[in-house]
Amino acid sequence: MKQGKVILASAVVALVALLGGALWWVAQVAPESPLTVDNPRVRMVPGGGPMAGYMEIGNHGDSPIRLVAADSPAFGNVMIHRTVVRDGQARMEHQRDGVEIQPGDSAVFKPRDLHLMLMQPQTELEVGDTVAVVLTFEGIEPADWPIAFTVVPVTSQ
Amino acid sequence: MNPARVSLRSVTASVAALAIALFLGGCGEDEWHGKNITGLMPELEFELIDENGDPVTEEVFAGEPVAMYFGFTHCPDICPTTLARLAAAARRLPESIGKNLQLAFVSVDPARDDPDQLERYTDAFSDRMLGLTGTQKQLRALTRRYRVTFGYEEPGADGSYEVSHSSAILVFDAELEPRLMLLDDLNVAQIAEDLERLLEGSRSDS
Repeated sequence: MKQGKVILASAVVALVALLGGALWWVAQVAPESPLTVDNPRVRMVPGGGPMAGYMEIGNHGDSPIRLVAADSPAFGNVMIHRTVVRDGQARMEHQRDGVEIQPGDSAVFKPRDLHLMLMQPQTELEVGDTVAVVLTFEGIEPADWPIAFTVVPVTSQ
Repeated sequence: MNPARVSLRSVTASVAALAIALFLGGCGEDEWHGKNITGLMPELEFELIDENGDPVTEEVFAGEPVAMYFGFTHCPDICPTTLARLAAAARRLPESIGKNLQLAFVSVDPARDDPDQLERYTDAFSDRMLGLTGTQKQLRALTRRYRVTFGYEEPGADGSYEVSHSSAILVFDAELEPRLMLLDDLNVAQIAEDLERLLEGSRSDS
């Protein structure tokens, strides 16, 4: 009986040590991800028309990266656009060369600015749904980054 | 340099700065967040079709103030952003002065925006937002009247195309006189302040 308790206690101690070691390794040794995508969201637009995808992409590496394409099984076609207002006239500019992000910098995709133009929704989406979008970059390995976007209400800013 | 002179100079500068600040602060009360266009453009007049496919004229708003935006439903970024801000601002108005305000979305892309599409789209923002569109001739007549324009860009490989359009909201008073142009960079609070001020003003005038 007593021996059993000792074995159990040793096992617990070993487990805690292992866990602690793992945590320490993550904190100290594992490198920070060279690329982060914060607050990825798709703003719901009813009626089957295109929707806008917003996010903040951070480049934590040592060299410039470039978002060159985006693709999603939930949409027929995805393009990188920027809304430009000039002399009171609004239009969208296709970012044919993608979006370059310098080391230590970030690209903010937000309303009235850069956005993913997500065209031809393939299914009826609802607020709260998750949409898979693969972002393709140049200047980083791997090139493809699958990101889960959340569908937010059309009224969100 | 004479220290006494320097301090006298800085006192003079401070007094001048204070005076300017007070002057500007006082003037600020007369400033709108949007652009005051009272008297600059003709009263509202149009022939269009509504969300039911029925022909309508400006009479549909007669006696009620209206905030109007020109756009298209295949516009995922600036149109929903602006319409959502407008709808939120309208909801913020005190019931007594906001209840009669009408919201109008005029699609300049009639090829894709049929009445059903317009209804689905406008209902997402507010149940008091009316969708309108029309023939090219009807739309040109209305936009020319308010010195705004729209245009279509070359279609892409999939046949979809972009539409350029005015980014501002036009606000008409209950007599359908154009009063304010709200630019797209205003936030909900600024739009609400301008609308409240305009509607309160036109109410006390009557």
